[in-house]
Amino acid sequence: MLWRKAWVETRWRALIGLGILLCAAGAMVLVYPQVMRLVPSVPPDDGSTITRQIREAAALMRDYRGYVFAQWFRQSLPQLWTIMAALLGSGGLLTQGTALFTLSLPVSREQLSRVRAIVGLGELLALAIVPTLLVPLLSPAVGESYPLGDALLHALCVFVAGTVFFSVAFLLSTAFADVWRPLLLTLAVAVALVSVEQLLRTRAVHGIFGVMSGDSYFRTGRLPWLGLSASALVSLVLLWIGTVSIARRDF
Amino acid sequence: MVRPSGGSARVFELPADVPASSVEIRRRTGFVSEDKDLIDYMTVAEIVRFTSAFYPRWRRDLEQTYLRRFELPPDRKVKLLSRGTRTKLALLLALCRGAELLVLDEPTSGLDPAMIEGVLQALVAHAAGEGTTVFFSSHQIAEVDQIADRVAIIERGRTLVAGALDDLRERYRRVQLVFDGAAPAAPFRAPGVVRVRRQGRVLTVLSSDGAERVLDEARALAPVATDVAPMSLKDIFLETVAAEE
Repeated sequence: MLWRKAWVETRWRALIGLGILLCAAGAMVLVYPQVMRLVPSVPPDDGSTITRQIREAAALMRDYRGYVFAQWFRQSLPQLWTIMAALLGSGGLLTQGTALFTLSLPVSREQLSRVRAIVGLGELLALAIVPTLLVPLLSPAVGESYPLGDALLHALCVFVAGTVFFSVAFLLSTAFADVWRPLLLTLAVAVALVSVEQLLRTRAVHGIFGVMSGDSYFRTGRLPWLGLSASALVSLVLLWIGTVSIARRDF
Repeated sequence: MVRPSGGSARVFELPADVPASSVEIRRRTGFVSEDKDLIDYMTVAEIVRFTSAFYPRWRRDLEQTYLRRFELPPDRKVKLLSRGTRTKLALLLALCRGAELLVLDEPTSGLDPAMIEGVLQALVAHAAGEGTTVFFSSHQIAEVDQIADRVAIIERGRTLVAGALDDLRERYRRVQLVFDGAAPAAPFRAPGVVRVRRQGRVLTVLSSDGAERVLDEARALAPVATDVAPMSLKDIFLETVAAEE
């Protein structure tokens, strides 16, 4: 019953997020022909940063696999999924007017936290995989194909690395009695990390968004095991701290 | 729900502040909060089904009885219930758990007199029929006086009075002594004297240990009249709190 309760309390956020991601994935595939028509009109290299970035992106999209990587796994999916991770990590006991009722039930606070975390992570896994599966399914519609295995591996990179953002929101939700502050603070953390990565130009190798996109897998065929392990470890630690925080709190 | 700032408590011989035993205590306890916290997005039927899943000894027979008696609409969402109906639903969820102990925080707050009577009757019948211990807090002295077997009066975290209600009614006495002139400022050394009040010619002594020894001591003051009166729970409450202050 706790599992069902956790699902009911988050299902609309998850389902709406799924709808948005499915639309984004479908649109990304279906506009491919139009985008390819624009690639030849990339401006010549004039030494400016913006032109260089445009040319790099265009070079990346020289084939369909590169296009999917650039548009979906490096851009749309991590961005939208991170917002959903922050949204699904927010909430919890403090935001519910039902805290005393729930706490009066014969379940430990650790169990309540565990159920909430697992349900949230399960929803995020679905949000990473299901829209991504649309890519190989829909690709024939534009005369292309995309390997199912690649799609799944990239989706798993998004999920494993991105759980950090869910865990940040989860931890913050044990400190704030509203949904908005954990959500906005988590997004602020994400924006800060992106900014740092861009400043240091570490995105492709070490940055969390580089790991989420599976950049190294795209370029070399090797999964970013170190980044994935580090992200998973950080997530577990944050979830554990959040669980302990709830266990020690007075209501 | 809160950690103790001091002291200790045991429920069912289990320490109340240890997480592991806390789960077992809650399995055998029903709780109704002052604000009647419930899950608003569920319907009455859904929250009954949800709650019953946690209690292996859930009483289906009592569930049907109280659904009928309290006239709870099964398909209505909890957030749409009136305050009185919400209170009755909260009570149903507590009473049907097969709990050995019910902890109720202001169970009748915000209810009209008819509903209050109904709730009190249900509590008394349940306690008598099921052998359940009911522990409730209330600021409504009349209600406590009506149904409680044992009471405790707590002021600023300290217990001022505790005991069986009948015993308290037997032991507490208000002794009024009337004098010709101004009442003397005499200290009373008799055990159980809670408070002494002088007002003009009248000396009023509140005793928690009967009136005999107070009267023995009062004879030496030669009052022209004495009156010994029993005290209601409300009187005991007001006098002990006033004496504390």
